[in-house]
Amino acid sequence: MSCIHDGNLRQYLDGELAGAELAEITEHLASCSDCVGQLENLRVARAETESVVGTLAPAAEDVAINPAMAYAQFASQFADDREPKTWISRLLAPRWRPVWGLAAVALIVAVLMSVNPVRVWAQRVLAMLRVQKIQVVSIDPTTLMSSSGPDSRPYKLFNQFVADNVVVTMDPGKPQIVSNLKTATQLAGYPVRVIGNLGAPQSIDVTGETAFQMTVNRDRATTLLDEIGRSDIHIPESANGALIAVHIPKTVISMYGDCPVRQRYRSHNSESQAEALAERKLERMANVKDTNCTYLIQAPSPTVSVPPDLNMSDIAEAALELAGMTPAEAQSFCQTVDWSSTLVVPIPRNSSSYETVTVDGVEGTLITETLSQGNRYSLLWIKNGVIHSLGGHGNSSDALSLAASLR
Amino acid sequence: MTSLERSSEHWDEAEFRGVFLQHYSRIVAILMRLLGDRSRAEEVTNDAFWRLYRQPALQVDGNIGGWLYRTATNLGIDALRASGRRRQYEEAAAGFIDQGKSNTPLEDLMREEKRHRVRVVLASIKPAQAQLLILRSSGLSYKELADALDIKMSGIGTMLNRAEEEFRNRYLALHPNKEEL
Repeated sequence: MSCIHDGNLRQYLDGELAGAELAEITEHLASCSDCVGQLENLRVARAETESVVGTLAPAAEDVAINPAMAYAQFASQFADDREPKTWISRLLAPRWRPVWGLAAVALIVAVLMSVNPVRVWAQRVLAMLRVQKIQVVSIDPTTLMSSSGPDSRPYKLFNQFVADNVVVTMDPGKPQIVSNLKTATQLAGYPVRVIGNLGAPQSIDVTGETAFQMTVNRDRATTLLDEIGRSDIHIPESANGALIAVHIPKTVISMYGDCPVRQRYRSHNSESQAEALAERKLERMANVKDTNCTYLIQAPSPTVSVPPDLNMSDIAEAALELAGMTPAEAQSFCQTVDWSSTLVVPIPRNSSSYETVTVDGVEGTLITETLSQGNRYSLLWIKNGVIHSLGGHGNSSDALSLAASLR
Repeated sequence: MTSLERSSEHWDEAEFRGVFLQHYSRIVAILMRLLGDRSRAEEVTNDAFWRLYRQPALQVDGNIGGWLYRTATNLGIDALRASGRRRQYEEAAAGFIDQGKSNTPLEDLMREEKRHRVRVVLASIKPAQAQLLILRSSGLSYKELADALDIKMSGIGTMLNRAEEEFRNRYLALHPNKEEL
């Protein structure tokens, strides 16, 4: 047998050999003085190195580590991320915030609509007002029915409420995926724009017109509020029986870069399935924090018809309280807003901030959310009657330079 | 959503806690060797666990310990290298390390200085070799090393020999007069 390889000698020296290999080397060493000599060299070299590297060993009193305590700290440090996502916090996920969060008034309606696939649902929220202005309001989403999972009773009550009170008068069908801008523009019926700086979009899809109407049933709404422990919130009597009709034009979403694969819902009637898909999608969106995905949503302002005597401000106040504002905050905010023309975007307190910027030649709102992996932005503006929402990762200058490249 | 689907995208809280409790102490101890500072070691350890938390469980399935040791030591060596660069300037300005600790007995001072030299050398050799040395010195078996470094067990003997040789050469080159190995 030829001499033993240094690697195997080392393994032998470290006591990491067993079985036939060990027997073979032991036998060889018994009759080979060269290998015995080499083994000794390795032993000395190992000892020399360890005597130096070993000085790094921490002193015994330094290694009293309490992992349970460390875990408690770790878990609290990342509490936001570790909290199980309630359905409502999923709805507040940054990706969907600009779409869904359109009006505090719409909040109640939004929740009522949530049985439907998310896209349709999001657009229904969008529909509450004819939007000319954007205003941001910060809310505390943790107070917002934070314990209500999709299986909870309030959630089911909401679903039932919707089923009983909402009539879809125009079904958008499935979104159409189009391959180019020209087709998108033809389908949408208004000029569709893309982000020039990002090249060809990964996908463009166009969702058809939607219309629905609902009747406000004050008793049912009050029951719901009681159910979620907010019987302090008051729905104005004048709202009872009001018929609200909503029409949403076609919406175009283009996505760029490494965007999550979007799952399509299959059928409007298959409630639970569609709901499950929508939630999974929302959840995935919420969790895709480090992908390089940028999107642009374009939607002409929806129109909402409400009875002239309906006091939107009162309903808005109730909705804002539901969303986590104190009654005083809600009241003073509502006084500053023209509910017939303003898109109100709720953002969570603490993690988000917003500023007014000039974009696309008009005034826009830039919402920045600080995540542990970096910032995420949503830039909202209205140009020629079309609501634009541009979202992605990065800082405000990234958002503005992308917006400047729209064509 | 079924629990199966959830498990591919999220850690089960209890499961993650178990992994944390199982590995935390050892990883902090390894990083204390590398960084010489308890709070920085904990910081880097948390960073490693945070990365694990972000990983869908499937991607590290079956070798969570190995993944953690690899990630933590990579982060630790990066930190060591970064602090080495910083420290060179500081030392040039201060003249000598740890001068502020005037009450430290001489022996401790000498020991601390030796540790510093070891770290300088670890920061100067190939990261993979430094990683191997620090993990082996921390008591990882060949099997654990193989899992952590994603290599075959049969290659470890050779790699250890080479890494140690490289370490000794660099150590003597950087500190020819300090002492014998």
